[in-house]
Amino acid sequence: MPTSDIGLDKTLADLGVTQPEQVALRFAKIRVHFQEHFQTVHDESEWKSFRDRWLGRKSGVLTQITDNWLKPATPQLKRAVGASLNELRAHVESQIEARRAAIESGAEESALARERVDLSLPGFIRPTGSHHLIRQVFQEIEDIFFSIGFSVVEGPEIETPYYNFEALNIPEFHPVRDDMDTFYLELPTGAKTPLLLRTHTSPMQIRTMEKQKPPVRVIVPGKVYRRDNPDATHSFAFHQIEGLAVDSDITFCDFTGTIEYFVKEFFGPSVKTRFRPSYFPFTEPSVEFDVSCPFCGGTGTAAGGGTCSKCKGAAWIELFGAGMVDPAVYGFVNYDAKRVSGFAFGIGIDRLAMLKYGIDDIQVFFQNDVRFLRQFP
Amino acid sequence: MKVVYNWLKDFVDLTATPQDLASRLALSGTNIAGVENGPHGAVIDAEVSSNRPDCLGHYGVAREVGAIYKLPLRHVAPKPAESSAKASDAVKVEIQSSELCGRFTARVIRNVKIQPSPKWLKDRLEASGVASISNVVDISNYVMLELGHPLHTFDYDKVRDHKIIVRRAKPADAAGKAAPEKMRTLDGIERTFDSNICMISDGDGSRPIGIGGIMGGAETEISFSTKNVLIECAWFEPVAIRRAARFLKLHTEASTRFGRGADPEMAELASRRAAELILQLAGGELLSGVVDIYPGKRAPKKIRVTRAEILRVMGADVPDKQVEASLSALGFAPVRIDQNRGAEGSLLAAWECTQPSWRAEVEREIDLIEEIARIYGLDKFPPRLPAARQGAARLPHYEAETRLRERLIGLGYREILTIPHVAEERDALFRPNGVSPARLSNPLSEEANVLRSTGIVTIAGALEWNLNHGQRNVRLFEIGRHYRLNGSESIETRVLTIGATGEAREKGLYDAACDFSFADLKGDLDSLGELVGGFHWQQDGLSWLNPARAATIAVLENLNFPVGYAGQLARRVAEKLKLRQNVFLAELELDPVYAAMRTAKEARRYEPLPKFPSVERDFSLLLADGTKFSDVTKTIQSLGIQEISAVEATDLFRGKSVPAGKYSLLVRVTFQSREATLTEAQIGDYSGKIIYALEKNLGAQRRAS
Repeated sequence: MPTSDIGLDKTLADLGVTQPEQVALRFAKIRVHFQEHFQTVHDESEWKSFRDRWLGRKSGVLTQITDNWLKPATPQLKRAVGASLNELRAHVESQIEARRAAIESGAEESALARERVDLSLPGFIRPTGSHHLIRQVFQEIEDIFFSIGFSVVEGPEIETPYYNFEALNIPEFHPVRDDMDTFYLELPTGAKTPLLLRTHTSPMQIRTMEKQKPPVRVIVPGKVYRRDNPDATHSFAFHQIEGLAVDSDITFCDFTGTIEYFVKEFFGPSVKTRFRPSYFPFTEPSVEFDVSCPFCGGTGTAAGGGTCSKCKGAAWIELFGAGMVDPAVYGFVNYDAKRVSGFAFGIGIDRLAMLKYGIDDIQVFFQNDVRFLRQFP
Repeated sequence: MKVVYNWLKDFVDLTATPQDLASRLALSGTNIAGVENGPHGAVIDAEVSSNRPDCLGHYGVAREVGAIYKLPLRHVAPKPAESSAKASDAVKVEIQSSELCGRFTARVIRNVKIQPSPKWLKDRLEASGVASISNVVDISNYVMLELGHPLHTFDYDKVRDHKIIVRRAKPADAAGKAAPEKMRTLDGIERTFDSNICMISDGDGSRPIGIGGIMGGAETEISFSTKNVLIECAWFEPVAIRRAARFLKLHTEASTRFGRGADPEMAELASRRAAELILQLAGGELLSGVVDIYPGKRAPKKIRVTRAEILRVMGADVPDKQVEASLSALGFAPVRIDQNRGAEGSLLAAWECTQPSWRAEVEREIDLIEEIARIYGLDKFPPRLPAARQGAARLPHYEAETRLRERLIGLGYREILTIPHVAEERDALFRPNGVSPARLSNPLSEEANVLRSTGIVTIAGALEWNLNHGQRNVRLFEIGRHYRLNGSESIETRVLTIGATGEAREKGLYDAACDFSFADLKGDLDSLGELVGGFHWQQDGLSWLNPARAATIAVLENLNFPVGYAGQLARRVAEKLKLRQNVFLAELELDPVYAAMRTAKEARRYEPLPKFPSVERDFSLLLADGTKFSDVTKTIQSLGIQEISAVEATDLFRGKSVPAGKYSLLVRVTFQSREATLTEAQIGDYSGKIIYALEKNLGAQRRAS
C-alpha cells in the first residue's frame, strides 16, 4: 500500500481530520499497514529496507508523520497525535528490533551448518619421520641397563683376531670358530695382523678391561657380522648388545638377578625365565638364557589350539648366551682372577625385536621399505 | 648326536620318560633340539657342545643321566675269547709322529664272515641315522656311537707286510720334483695332503692307507670278500685334527670326535668291545692281546675345589653331599682334604679331584664349580640385583646424536639401518679420489664384496628399493659408519647420510603437491646447522653430483675442511642406478659436527628481548645474474648500521617484465634499536644509504614495487 493511500503526504487538515477519534482511526490504519508489510521481511536486506522505510530519518514513515501530521496539527489535535505517534514508534521499534534478532540467529544457524568442521576428515599432517625399530630396541635396552648402573661404550667393527678370538680364550682351530664363520679384509702384503669383521660385540670386553680397572659395568651396542647365507632368520650383518660387569664381589646370583631384571622390564613382569648350562670359551659357568614363550604364555599351545608356532611347543624360547667371565680372559687384561669376578652376556637385538613384534623375516630390518618403517614410529 | 633312549638302558636303569629325560638333560647342560618317537622308540636330538666329546656316545650320555638321576653307571668290560696266536706276531705298529698320534692300538681277527648285520644292530644304527653296510663296518660305527670313540677296520690281508707306520704326510719338496702326497679315501675322492696331516701308512711306510682320525683309504677297505680284519683304535691330537679337517674340507664323525678331544684311555676298550661284537656277529678267531703303542699316556691331573671359591663365584652354597655326589658320578673321584674333614658344611671344605681321561677340558677349579653347579641345578642359586657402585655414563656423543636424530625425524626423515657390504662397482661410483676401500677377502658374493666407503652407496640402495616397490616419496637418514683402509689399517668414521626423492609435500585436502628440491635439502640441513651455530656452504662439485646443485658444508671451527657435502645426484649416475626421479643426497662426518654442537651449546647465552618495536622495509631490486644474495647482505652489513637486525630474501623471480640477464629480488631489512623507537627520519636515512650502496657496489636497480 503506497503511503499516499494513508495520507502521509497530506496534513490532517487536508485529510479532513478534526476530531481526536479520527486521529486514532488514522493511526490504527497505519498499524495494520505496518503489520502487513512486516510479514514480508525475511532476510537481512529486506529487513534493512523495511527499517529505512519506517525509521529512515529523512523520509521514513515516522518522520513523515511528524512532519506532515504532528507539526502542522491544530492545538486541539496535537496532543492526540503526539501520544499516538509515540505509541506507534515504540511498537515499530520493538518489532523491528525483534525481527533483527530473529533474522540474525537464523543466519548464524545456517552459517554454523556451513562452517562446522568435519572431524572425520584428516587434519593437515606435516610429514614426520620415524626411528628404526632396531634403534628403538637398542634404546630401550640401553635405558634398562643404564638405570642399573651400566655405562654405554662402542667399539670398532673391524677387529683383529686377537680381540675377536684369542683374548676371549678362542685360540686358532678352536671348534667354536667353526660356528662363527668370519669375514676377513683383503690387506696389502706385509700387513702386521689380519683384520676381520667382528663376529660378536665381545671384543669390547677385552678393550674395556684393558683401559679400565674394576669395577666395570658396561654395555656395548653394535653391528656384528657372520658369514652366513641370508634367509628369513639369518643375515650376515646383525646387531648385538654386549654386557660386562666385573667387580670384587660379583657372583652368579648377581648375574641371574641382573638378567631377570632386564627381561622382566623388557617383556613384562609375567614372563618366566630359566638358565640352562651351556658352553662358551670366554664364560664359565656358561648359560643359555630362556624366557617362557611370550606368544603362548609359556604353555606351548597356540591360542586357537594346536602347537604354538613361535616356540614350536617347547613353551620356552632361547634368548641369548651368557655366563660368568672365564678366569682365562682376565689373564689377557691383567686382572687378578683370584680377586675379581664378573659376568658377560651377548643379546641378539634383531632376534629380540622379531620376537617382541612378531616379525618373521630378519631381512625387513635392512630393506628399509617405508611401509615397514612407518609401522614403528 | 641322536640319543636312542633304549640304548641308554644298557648302562643305567632309567625309568624317567623320554620327555622328562630330555628336559633334565637340557637343564644340566645338554642342549636338546627335540624328541622324536620313531619305530625304535624315542630318540632325543642332543646338540652336544664342543667341549663335551664324551657325550658323543651313549655311554657318556648315560654317565650324565646317572649323575642327574643318581643312578649307578654299568661299566663296559668286554671279555672276548682270544686264541693262542698273538696279535703282536701278526701286526707291527710304529708311530713316527707321536705329536700327532698319541696312541695306536691294533687287534687282528682271522676268518671272519662278512655279512649283513642282525636286526637289532641295524635298528640301533637306523635310529641313530647311520646306514647299515656290513657287520664289521657296522660294528665300528656301533662302537663309536656307543662309546664315543671312532675306530677303523682294515682288510688285514691288504695291509702290506702287516705293518703300520703312523707318520706325517709327505710334503712337496722345495725343488718341486716330488708332488705332495695323495690318496684316494673311502668316499672315492683323491685327496692331497700337507705335512701337518697325520697319515696311516703300511709296509715300508711309502703307501698311505688312511688319514689318521679322519677317514680310511679306499685300497684297504673291508669288502664282502674280506677274511681277516685289523682293528685300529687310536687317539689323535685334537688341534691337528681340526686343522687337517679344515684344510681338507673333510668333516667326518671321526674328525668331530677326535677334533674335540677323544678319551685316549678309551682306545683299547673300544677296540676290545669291537672285537667282542665281531666275534659275536662275524665269527672268527681273535688273536691274543693287543698291539698298543701309547707314547701320549698322561698321568691324571689333580684338581682342587673349595667351598670358599664356590661361594665366591656362585654366591650361594652347595651342600657337601651334593658336591660329592655330582663329582663322583661324573668320574672326578672327590676326596675331602681340609682339616675340618669331619664337619659338614665347613667353610674351609676342600676337595681334591682326579681328572678323568674323558674330560680333558676340565683342568681348573672353575671347571669343577661349573660341573657342581649344573648338576645341582642353576635354579637353586637365588637371583639378586647387585648394587651399582658408580655412576653410569652414556656414549660421549649420545646427547648430540639424539638431538640430530630427533630433529631429522621432526623434519620428516625416516631412520634406516643398512648392511655395509656392497658391490665394488657401486662403491666406486661414490668413492672419493684417493680413498682405499675395505675389500673382503672372502665375500659371500660379488654383490657384497666391499664395505661401503661412504654411506651414500647404501642410502641410494634404500631409495632404489623403495622406488622399485612403488614408494615414490621417500626421505631417509642413517647414522652409521663408513669404512676405509689406510695402508693396512682400518678407519671407521661415523657419518650421517641423508637421501630424499619424490614429493616433499604430497597433494592433500589443504595443500598442493610440491617436489623435493635442493632448497628442501639445504633448509633441512640448515635446521641441523642451527645446532652447530650454522653451516657454511660452498659451491663445489663431487663427481657424482649434478654440478649446478652441489655443495660442501663446513662448520665454523674449520672452514677449510668441510664436514660433508650435499646435492642432487647427477643424471648419469641416477640412470646407472635406474633411479628415475630426482634424488638428493648428503653426508656429514659426525665427530666434528658433534664437537661443534658441544662448542655451540657451551657458547649459547641469553640475549635480552628488545623493548622497542622493530621496523621492516622491503627493497625490490633488479640484479645481474651471478650476483649472489650473500653479496647483497655483505653490502648492507658493510654499512655498519647497528640497528639492522636481519636481512632476508623474501621473493625471487626471472622472466616476464624482468629483462634477460637479470633477476628480481625482494629484500626485507629489519631495523631494531635497543635504545629507542626508530623514527621515520632514521629509517629513511638508513634506507637511502642501503639503496645507494647496492646501486654503487652491485649495480642494483630499484624496481617500482
